[in-house]
Parts: sequence; C-alpha cells; structure tokens
Amino acid sequence: MSKEFSVVGPKIYATIRTGIPILGDIKITETIIVSWIVMLIITALCIFLTWDLKVENISKRQAFAEMLVEMGNNFVRNNTGSTKFDKLIPFVSALFITSVVSNLISLIGLRSPTADLSTEAAWATVVFIMITATKIKTNGLGGYLKGFTTPIAVMTPFNILSELATPVSMACRHFGNILSGVVIDGLIYWALGLASSALLGLIPGAVGGFLSKIPVLGVGLPAITGVYFDWFSGCMQAFIFCMLTIMYIANAAEEG
Amino acid sequence: MGIQALMAVTAVTETQDLVTLVPWTFIITICNLFIQVFLIKKFLFKPINNILEKRQNLADKVIKEAREAKEEADSLKDQYESSLTNAHAEAAQIVQDAQKEAQTKADALVQDAQKQATDIKAKAAADIEQEKKKAINEAKDEIGGLAMDIAGKVVEKEINENDHKKLIEDFISKVGA
Repeated sequence: MSKEFSVVGPKIYATIRTGIPILGDIKITETIIVSWIVMLIITALCIFLTWDLKVENISKRQAFAEMLVEMGNNFVRNNTGSTKFDKLIPFVSALFITSVVSNLISLIGLRSPTADLSTEAAWATVVFIMITATKIKTNGLGGYLKGFTTPIAVMTPFNILSELATPVSMACRHFGNILSGVVIDGLIYWALGLASSALLGLIPGAVGGFLSKIPVLGVGLPAITGVYFDWFSGCMQAFIFCMLTIMYIANAAEEG
Repeated sequence: MGIQALMAVTAVTETQDLVTLVPWTFIITICNLFIQVFLIKKFLFKPINNILEKRQNLADKVIKEAREAKEEADSLKDQYESSLTNAHAEAAQIVQDAQKEAQTKADALVQDAQKQATDIKAKAAADIEQEKKKAINEAKDEIGGLAMDIAGKVVEKEINENDHKKLIEDFISKVGA
C-alpha cells in the first residue's frame, strides 16, 4: 500500500520519431487514444440516434435526437440573438459534446483527454482564430489592427495581452477544473484506500492482511463526490467553454 | 489504493508531464475537432434538420390546405346565405303579389257585382216605372172607355127603360169579361 500520493500526466504508449525540430516526436498518448474513443462514441451515438428517421409517428430515439438538435440551435440562437451564426451550430455542438464526453469518460476509468492541456489549448486556439477571423471580417484588417490602439495608443500592449488572454484563460479554466477533478478523485480513492487498509488491518492474522489490501471504503463515497467533481464540473466546464465561444464570436461580429 | 497512485507505481511506460503542451497532441486534437464537427454535421444535424424541414413543410401544407378549405366553406356559406335570403325575399314577393292580385280581383269582382246589382236595380225600377205608366195609361183608357160607355148608357136609358136592365147586365158582363 503506497503511502505516497502523486498525479501523473497521460501515459505515452508509443513514440514515432520524426526529427522535425520544433514539433518533436509524435507521441501516441492516452489523451489521443481516449479522444479517438470519445469520437467513436459520439459518432456511433449520432448514427444510432438518426437511424430510421420518420416524418410522422416518430420514435423516442428520434424525438431525443431532434431535441438535441433543437437544443443546439436554441443555444446558439439565444446567445447570439439572431440566426446569422447558424453555421456555427455544428461546431459549437461538436465542441460541447466532445467536451462533455471527454470529461465524463473518466467515470469509466479512462483518463479524460481534457485532463491534458494540449486538448484545451487546441480548442481554445481554434476558437481564438475564429474570433479573430470574425473581427477581421467585420471591421476589415485595418479596423481590426486599429482596434488595438483604442482608446489611446499607449494601451496597445495591454490590448494585445487581453486579446491573447482570451484563449489562454479559456484553455486553463477548462483544464484546471478537469485536472482538479482528477486530483481530488485520486486523493479520495487514495485516502479511502489507506483508511480501509488501516481499518481492516486491525483484523489479526492472514485474513486481516489479505482484506486490508481491498479498499472497501472506496465504494460509495466517491460516487457522491463524483456528482460534483465529475458530473457537474464536467458538464459545467463544457457549457462555459461553448458559451464563451459563442459569446466571443457574437461580440466580434458586432464591433465597429 | 488510488488509481493514480497505482499508475505511478506500476507504470512501465513513460508518462508525459502533468501540465504541458505537446505540439503533436495539439495538432491532432485540432484535426479531431474538425473531423468531429464534420461527423456531427453529417450524422446528426443534416438528417435531423432534413426531417424537421420536411415536417415543417408538411405542417405548412396541411395548414394551407385547411385555410383554403375554410375559405371555400366560408364562400359557400356566404353564397348559400345570400341565395337563402334571396329565396326568402322572392317568396315574400310572390306571396305579396298573389295577395295583391287576389285583392285586385276580389275588388273587381265586388265592383262588378255591385255595378251589376245597381244596373239590375235601375232596370227593374225603370221597368216598374214603365209598367206603372202603362198600367195607369191602360187604367185611364179603361176609365175613359167606361165613362164613355156609362155616358152612352145613360143616354140610351132615356130612350128605353126596359133596355136599362139589360144594359147594366151587359156592362157587368163586359166588365167581368
């Protein structure tokens, strides 16, 4: 029974040597493997839900699928207040469902891809590019660059900083929450394991020695704490990430 | 025993740092995100939106048809109502006409009858008057004749006393005749 507690990063299963200077070697990590599993789950779910669609007399499955689509539509339309961002609906929905499934996949014992900063950084970068592209499209390149010097030219560095802070804060917020969930879950299991080993170690002889290896106290309490640290936090962070995405893009389209 | 702790103890494979940015993972995640967007679009949004649109069209069609049917029914109703009103008016007109005609006819008949009666009365009166005149004239003639006879007889009596009785008898028998 380990007396030490540590949280480690995703496992690296394989390394492909590329020799490219900055990018380095391709490492097939737990993050990548699990994110493929997440994609498979989502796609299979989509295909299952939209199998055998009917116009009338629909099944519960189809009603659920339609509800999901309507939820996506309403989420984007209500937060932007118009239908001109409708082409963003699949993107935001994909972001949300990928985030939710990635966060919750830790419940079946896999390591969440979202517990790796690279994942959130990638998403936030895509969102940042979209925000910037929308701004340039709305105000023109000149107007976009000029926007950094407002209200006075001295503010330029701070404006650039605040602009860059957007993706960094989005990525770090999501990552921090999920990682903290992983750490707390790990701590709870570890502590409960120690506690049950100490408790069952009181039984004398070989029976106690054997039973103390089984963390019986680990059953029950993590399910309750998991409601917050896994379920709530996982859904909340996905929601916040998508909400911010759509808000930032809608704001970018209004400027000027 | 914690899962993470177990990993730390039993991991034979190397692990990456807990908080780090791995360029390839970053790139692969971006690709995965767009593939996921494409898959969700293809397998969820496209078919569902398609179905929703179809249902919308169907509902629109049904509503449109219902509206058309209602309009048609309304116009038919108006038509029937107006024709019913017309029929009522026509019937009233016919009855009124008939009444008027009957009245006129009855009036004419009564007038005719009255005229006829008056005519008959007048004619009867005239007849009576004429008869009366005639009778009076006849009576006058008779009385004149009678007087003449009487006067003649009176004259004859002077002549023959005996014939007197016979004369009176003759007269009476003549008058009686």
